[in-house]
Amino acid sequence: MITPFGIAYRNLLRKRIRTVLTLAGIMLSSWVLVSLFGFNQGYETALNRDIDNMGYQLMVMAKGCPYESATLMLQGGKGIRYMDEKVMHDIAKRPEVQAVTPILMQAFFDPNKGENGGIAGYFGVDPASFPAMKPFLKFKKGGWFKDPAGDEVVMGYEAAELEQREVGDQIMVPEKNVPLKVAGILERTGTQDDGTIFVPLKTLQKISQTDKITTVGIKGKKDADLAKLENDLYQLPDVQVVSFAQVKQTIMKLIGTARVMVLSIAVIALLIAMVGVINTVLMSVYERKQEIGILKTMGAMPGDIFRLVWCETLILCLGGGMLGIVQAVVFANLTGVLVRRLLPYAPGGALVTIDARLSLLTLAIILVVGLLSGLYPAWRAGSVRPLESIRSE
Amino acid sequence: MRTNFRLLVLVALVLMALAPRTLLAAVGCDLNDPDRDVYRLYPGATSYKTVYTSIYKAGGAPLLKKIEARLGEKYLSLYAPVDLPFTIYEVYQGAKKVGFVHGVNQKGQFGGIQVFVALDLSGKIKTFYIQKISGPSAGKLREAGFAKKFAGVSLKDFGSFDPATGKGHGRLAELKNPAQGDTDFYGVLRGLKKNLVLMDELGYTGKGVGK
Amino acid sequence: MGEAEKVLEARGLGRTYRRGSEEIPALDGVEIAIRRGEFVSFMGPSGSGKTTLVNLLGCLDNPTSGELHLCGRMIFGHGKPLSEKALTLVRRELFGYVFQNFYLIPTLTVRENIELPLAFYKKPGAEGEVDRLLKLLGIEHRANHLPRQISGGEMQRVAIARALVNRPEILMADEPTGNLDSKRSGEIGEVLTDLNRTSGLTIVMVTHNPTLAGLAGRRIEMRDGRAYEEG
Repeated sequence: MITPFGIAYRNLLRKRIRTVLTLAGIMLSSWVLVSLFGFNQGYETALNRDIDNMGYQLMVMAKGCPYESATLMLQGGKGIRYMDEKVMHDIAKRPEVQAVTPILMQAFFDPNKGENGGIAGYFGVDPASFPAMKPFLKFKKGGWFKDPAGDEVVMGYEAAELEQREVGDQIMVPEKNVPLKVAGILERTGTQDDGTIFVPLKTLQKISQTDKITTVGIKGKKDADLAKLENDLYQLPDVQVVSFAQVKQTIMKLIGTARVMVLSIAVIALLIAMVGVINTVLMSVYERKQEIGILKTMGAMPGDIFRLVWCETLILCLGGGMLGIVQAVVFANLTGVLVRRLLPYAPGGALVTIDARLSLLTLAIILVVGLLSGLYPAWRAGSVRPLESIRSE
Repeated sequence: MRTNFRLLVLVALVLMALAPRTLLAAVGCDLNDPDRDVYRLYPGATSYKTVYTSIYKAGGAPLLKKIEARLGEKYLSLYAPVDLPFTIYEVYQGAKKVGFVHGVNQKGQFGGIQVFVALDLSGKIKTFYIQKISGPSAGKLREAGFAKKFAGVSLKDFGSFDPATGKGHGRLAELKNPAQGDTDFYGVLRGLKKNLVLMDELGYTGKGVGK
Repeated sequence: MGEAEKVLEARGLGRTYRRGSEEIPALDGVEIAIRRGEFVSFMGPSGSGKTTLVNLLGCLDNPTSGELHLCGRMIFGHGKPLSEKALTLVRRELFGYVFQNFYLIPTLTVRENIELPLAFYKKPGAEGEVDRLLKLLGIEHRANHLPRQISGGEMQRVAIARALVNRPEILMADEPTGNLDSKRSGEIGEVLTDLNRTSGLTIVMVTHNPTLAGLAGRRIEMRDGRAYEEG
């Protein structure tokens, strides 16, 4: 038995090129839309992952001190301020705090780097507390230091590549000319850890003849009020607080502009596809005016014709929408690469993640928009009068 | 007709899925400041052009094997993939190409050594420059006087001297290590040889494509 | 002529068209009664009002005056025109239509074209009709062909089968052979006569073709918007 759906489907096959072009239009807008949604979700997830990979949610450092090794290098190792380890012990006592880890950042001048010498940054970390905060760091070879005051280093993947180091090799701390042994080389993480050289805190303190630290990494307890902790920490004298929640907000704000831009593109694509659907269906209604009239003499009610034409819109939107989603999933990685090039800051990992929920959401939007576009042509078809159409031969 | 169309769609989807993914870039060996360094290494040069190539592009895994065999070393460079891009600075005097500047990463005792050579078109060393080296012997090896001793050295000189073992004869064997500790000294020599072999095999000073 | 036998009765049926302020009368108080099982043909020159009349009788259009009774029910004559929806309800209950152009859907097979009305409305007992009609009209072997693969005569048979699938009371045929050569016209005439004789189907037909009109048991001549009984 032929169903209204079957009639609508067969009708679309009549003008294949027109149907394919309309499908392509819908497919493109569905592709853009689902990729945008995927990006929205993927970017935030990736950013969260990057921030989780810091291992701690808050950092406290002496006022004016750069808080990451890259900045340290850029500033040529100047501007390092120190603080007492006592600050860390005080912070550790707070009820919101689950764990703390002391960090000492040091920069040494290496006269044999480039034409005019360069800066080598070292990261002094506590073997007892630091690895516990970063359980996700994996070793390509070797492992963490065995001796909390040993003359050892752990190198990030890129640092090891630059220095051509293998486990067991030696590395010389410039300026101080202290040789250290490579205990482990980390796998690539896609974060700044890749370029970092980690040294046991005590060892770095000994080399730099200090008993102070530059940074405290703080991990809050689950469900602890981190905003309150952050505020409390601001009250401490001569320290600055970096909260990764804040960092994330700043980045999300930066990305906001890009998101609005892409969203407008998606809306325009959707509008174009909508016009395409209206045009296609309306044209096919005009071409079939007589046929529709005959259907009415056969007993089809205006509502039947309306549904028939709407059904065509539905098939177009469902088909185009699904094709677009498939394409978006297939091209998700490529989209990620493009987006990465366009954005000021992109976290590691997949930037565009499309799941079933987003696919269904996109399909629903395409369907709603498509069915709205189908309203007018379907209404026109429904109101065709059989006598007029037969007379119009 | 309909079947063919479906088939086409299917093939297109499969092709899309197999499209190459961009690979993570690896650490290559570039001059820190080519606008300054190229002219310093090649006095008289008026301009230069930066070109990129890789063993992957020039000949793939068989070429890598061949180069490693010529060098007698297990790795061309630690952690470096076969598609590691090499940066070659082509040096010009007016419109005429006169030579190249090219650098490699080499393992040293306390860190990576980055050795750059300035070559003429036939592959003879004019001078060389250690952009980066660590350890106590670093300063001595970076002295201009040491670099001068290599003027005119070509692959032929490495034919009678093996920097991997330090054995052989000829002008390279007679060179004296200006610093203490042989690891970095031979590291620099191995870096020089690697430079020359790569430029030869990649076809810039040899008979290959780049000439 | 008993009242119960009348399937269609027009009383003073009139239709006036408007063109600007001018009123053009197309039908002028037509009186006509058709009994169940009759085969009636309408003939007449162009502009005589025969198509207008058939459209009114077939509920494709509203009259401007008069009454129309179908199967004892008054359809027109209540004073106000019927809506498109109300007309559709009457049509699908009582009528099947065949036109000069066959209006088959090109992407549907012969069988699917015949089934088409059932997709919108299905009278009880219509299930077996498709196969019966395919056989009855001699197009069984064409059931799975597309319209472009069959001849014009076969296309009109398909259109007739489609008109009959919902078991109508009356078959309205407007120039059913207008697009066919004389041989095919004769065949279609035979088909209609057979349907009338063997199934007792009431047929109302408009035609230019005197041979075809001659097949009908009753002939009505249209002139200047009036109907004149012949013979």
